[in-house]
Amino acid sequence: MKRSKISLALATGVTLLVAAAAQPAFAGESKTKPIMGIPSSAVADFGGAYGVHNWVESLFYYIMLDNRINYIFKEFGNVDRQIALNTQLEQMVLGGPNNYQGASMSAAHADLGITMTQFNAVVEAAYNACERNEIKYYACNDLIAALAPFTRVIVTK
Amino acid sequence: MKRLHKSGLRTLQCAAILAAGLVSSSAWAGIYNDGKVLLTGGVFTVDGAGGGGAVPWATISGYETRDGINGSAGFTYVNLPALQVSFYGVNVGLFDRVELSYVDSRLSLNLPNLQTVALVADAAGLDVGTDAWNSTLGMQTYGVKVRLFGDAVYTSDSWIPQVAVGGLYKDNRNVALIHTLGADKTKDYEIYVAATKVLFPISTLVNVTARYTSANEDGLTGFGYCNGGSQTDCHNKRKVRAEVSIAHLVAKNTAIGGEWQQHGSNLDGRSVNVAGLDLSGLTGLLGSAGLGGLSGALTQKKEGDWYDLFMAYAPNKHISFVVAYLMFGNIAVAPAQNGFYFATHLTF
Repeated sequence: MKRSKISLALATGVTLLVAAAAQPAFAGESKTKPIMGIPSSAVADFGGAYGVHNWVESLFYYIMLDNRINYIFKEFGNVDRQIALNTQLEQMVLGGPNNYQGASMSAAHADLGITMTQFNAVVEAAYNACERNEIKYYACNDLIAALAPFTRVIVTK
Repeated sequence: MKRLHKSGLRTLQCAAILAAGLVSSSAWAGIYNDGKVLLTGGVFTVDGAGGGGAVPWATISGYETRDGINGSAGFTYVNLPALQVSFYGVNVGLFDRVELSYVDSRLSLNLPNLQTVALVADAAGLDVGTDAWNSTLGMQTYGVKVRLFGDAVYTSDSWIPQVAVGGLYKDNRNVALIHTLGADKTKDYEIYVAATKVLFPISTLVNVTARYTSANEDGLTGFGYCNGGSQTDCHNKRKVRAEVSIAHLVAKNTAIGGEWQQHGSNLDGRSVNVAGLDLSGLTGLLGSAGLGGLSGALTQKKEGDWYDLFMAYAPNKHISFVVAYLMFGNIAVAPAQNGFYFATHLTF
């Protein structure tokens, strides 16, 4: 009886260990498939980590001006945290370090019923943010290309 | 024929009113959509389909996403040394899946040699569908396009393009002039398959289209050909022809690029037919009119492929402008037709 309990505990422990090994340090988004042609200078083109952060702040500024999408982001609350997570995500998809600590894109958007129109509205905000931050159009397209495959999990409606 | 033309105009008006109704009526408010990103629906081709200037793309015209519908109207003016063409049209995009289009075009010939034929034929009492001061080829084009699969913009992690299939039905009004130019049919259909992809790393849209057609000059001078200056030995062999559009985005609202459209050789080296007479009869007439040596001028040159270089500018989602330089090669009896193209595309 006692022995079987121990073996059960052991088994559970081993399972947990295996599961932990299978997961990255953060259980969130991992890199998308390599996006064709994103240059190694992509993060630098945005002005490094600091530049990416500034861009994300501009992105949220334009998102909050757009009635088609601002309510979705407001409902989430804690915009500062959203900006921090997005900065990590954008750096990662541009080929920078993978420090993303948020939920996966599919988990984060599953229940929101995001439409293609709303996704495109964020893309428009992204271009506006690039213009505002004097990031070159071609560099901006690298980021759009890197985020584009997320349409498949973000747009659910 | 005039009545047909009027009904065409009426169709245009109805479509415009319908489109205007869609925008204003609150009942449609839920289904109206302009959610596409700027310029990603393409502009208005001379065939009415969404695409570049001459080449239809796999994109569905208008700014709607799969969430709704959108419509547009287009006007294009082409100015070449020997002819001018105006295109007026409307189209509607449904749920980024289906596109319906209509275009009315008017090609005005400005050819001294054809006008001479007209004068002589007039003197001889023959109807060749042209008069000395007004030789207009009118055509109506009805189109439908269906997106089969793919997303031209957002599948940046694969090579799969957006692919659509489309059909066009073209109906020329000036039957006599089309036959004078030696074509077999004045109305015919075309089928095309288009593949479009935006390559973000080079900010460039690439489109390849294969069109199954027998058109002469996009159908503006009819379809197929007839041998021997009569309408008895006629052929309308459709073939697959290639078309390519490349548009480089220099900014989110500005594209520059070029197009190539392969053309056939149906009318190459054929004489202008005058009401079933072969040219020997006409040269007799011309000779007696003191215009011998004109027969060479009435032999149609090798039809050139269409090339163009364009710049498209969309200041907002309601209007865009395209200017282009066209290199159309020889058209009918007119050699080396290079000129300009101006188009505007109004999106609701």
